Amino acid sequence: MDILEEIAIGVEKGDSNSVHALTEKALTQNISVGEILNNGLVAGMDVIGEKFKNNEVFIPEVLISAKAMKAGMELIKPLLAKANVESKGKVVIGTVKGDLHDIGKRIVAMLLEGAGFEVTDLGVDVSKEKFLEFVEKERADILGMSALLTTTMTYMKEVIEAVENANLKQDVRVIIGGAPITHSYAEEIKADGYAPDAASAIDLVKDLLKK
Amino acid sequence: MKDKYRLNIPRLNILSREKLELIHLSTLEVLRRTGVAVKEPKAVEIFKKGGCYIEGERVRIPENLVEWALRNTPPRITLSDRNGNPAMFLEENNVYFGTGSDTPNIVDLYTGERRITVLKDVENVSKVVDYLDEMSFLMCSGIASDVNSKISDIYHFEAMVNYSEKPIVFTAWDLENLKTIVEMAEVVAGGKERLKNSPFIALYTEPISPLQLAEEATQKLMLMAEKYLPVVFTPCLITGATGPVTIAGGLIQGNAEILAGYVLANLINEGTPFIYGGGIIAMDMATSIACYASSEFMLASAAFTDMARYYRLPMFSFAGCSDSSLYDQQASLEGALRILLSSLSGGNLVHDVGYIDSGLTTSFEQIIVSNEVIGMVRRITQGFEINEETMALDLIDKIGPGGEYLTSEHTLKHFKENWYSELISRVPYEKWEEEGKKDLGIKANEKARHILENHTPKPLEEKLKAELRKIVKSRDK
Repeated sequence: MDILEEIAIGVEKGDSNSVHALTEKALTQNISVGEILNNGLVAGMDVIGEKFKNNEVFIPEVLISAKAMKAGMELIKPLLAKANVESKGKVVIGTVKGDLHDIGKRIVAMLLEGAGFEVTDLGVDVSKEKFLEFVEKERADILGMSALLTTTMTYMKEVIEAVENANLKQDVRVIIGGAPITHSYAEEIKADGYAPDAASAIDLVKDLLKK
Repeated sequence: MKDKYRLNIPRLNILSREKLELIHLSTLEVLRRTGVAVKEPKAVEIFKKGGCYIEGERVRIPENLVEWALRNTPPRITLSDRNGNPAMFLEENNVYFGTGSDTPNIVDLYTGERRITVLKDVENVSKVVDYLDEMSFLMCSGIASDVNSKISDIYHFEAMVNYSEKPIVFTAWDLENLKTIVEMAEVVAGGKERLKNSPFIALYTEPISPLQLAEEATQKLMLMAEKYLPVVFTPCLITGATGPVTIAGGLIQGNAEILAGYVLANLINEGTPFIYGGGIIAMDMATSIACYASSEFMLASAAFTDMARYYRLPMFSFAGCSDSSLYDQQASLEGALRILLSSLSGGNLVHDVGYIDSGLTTSFEQIIVSNEVIGMVRRITQGFEINEETMALDLIDKIGPGGEYLTSEHTLKHFKENWYSELISRVPYEKWEEEGKKDLGIKANEKARHILENHTPKPLEEKLKAELRKIVKSRDK
């Protein structure tokens, strides 16, 4: 079997050790990092993503695969820039100020990583200043915000206003999510996108970055 | 045999030991003092020989005879599937569900209209039951109106045995038809002795409240006892009409009716595989409808199940049935409550799944939705393990405050122990909207259609099929 195929299968099975070892091996065989990324790691995640959509596998299995992909990514990440392989996109994500709910945002972050995006997870209780700081620092394409509480979701609006005031609105797409969030709320506060669940968030990011 | 059928949490008792005794002793008093009217002279003769006090058709049964019969209860009744493999162990705390029988109407799956039942419907219900995981046995659900009405019961049996491998609980119009159906079952099982050894059938027959053993019902009970084949003997007492309006009175009278049949069966053949059970049905005094899903009926079923446990007899119980005229919110909620309660009480052979319209109409949607509810309830009655692995103290310590469990091996290993539904909606609003705004009824209808259009039950051997056809034809004159 082709080593890239083996990497993809390792990712699909969620076997971090084998993905790590195989990626190392592939690098010694002078296979390009672009190929390892797209035909190995991402290809494996694509299969698992498709299975997830068809209800054949569930979130824990997808996340284990994402973890395995990360094991390979760690090795090729430093080489990507040198090889001129463009990142699929950079995402800065966090739960807004006043809110300590972490898990939903974390799932989205892990799935995004699994889909090949570079994700900076700022954690919970994130202020607008911190969001802005990292959007600039990382030159982020996407800013993702999460809130579980109806009392904290209003802070999303403040962050978007801060993004506008800093003249960053053209550079970064702002997306929001969380149990109380609706499509109409996203429109109301002028977010660029909203997804009702983690899996659709990945599609949303892909769509936004195509444009 | 799967573990899921067994109740793994404490059984719901609604009668204390003292109350069970009181109901039992009061029942003995009714049998001694009032007795039952037995319309079949041969049965009266048997009761007489057994030591009962006879006045014409009135049979008064002494306490010691009832106690003797109750010492003969079989510890377990095993019902096999069509192929003779054990399918249901009717015993303490094993719960199995199946359809009901003989509704004149059905809701057409494709038009949504209520219409009279035809033979094709019986075949279709059999197919659906054959397919559904949580349906363990089959009753014919409807009365076929498009065949010779004198032997429609025989047609029902032929349809059921052709379209499903699951055990069958059947009804028979009279003794002659019963003999024919048993003959057919013997053909399928591969002979009389084989059928007796691993029966895949049970007859449903009943006393008539108040306190009567009708001629034909008694003849049917006697034949099953003679052949040592499983028989369900279940009164359908309407409180305030054919029994006292109070649950306690209804319970005692219904119990007396069942035990009269049980004594008769044991006088014929000790240890006859007899299945206990009954409906104590409240009459709605505004409409005169006998309600299938009243709180009182549910309470009485739970009490009857306690009595069955007390006697160590299997319980024929009720679930998945509704008084609603159509499949709707009421039908789901009534069906679900009955499923939960009959499970918690540990009813064994739980029937009437799919009944709506107070037992006058069959609904495919009600069957499909009940199948989901049963899955959900089984997850509850399965309980949960408490051991080092499941308490996960090391893991709790390793993950610590603020961590996450989603990517731990422990989660991956155990998350599938949670029960997932096929039809119950757990999607965010927008996604539900995108998927066509389908409610539960629409999804159930689609699933039923899918089963009918795609599921092919394992066919009966050609030779057996032809033999059954021949028997049916010989009776169709």
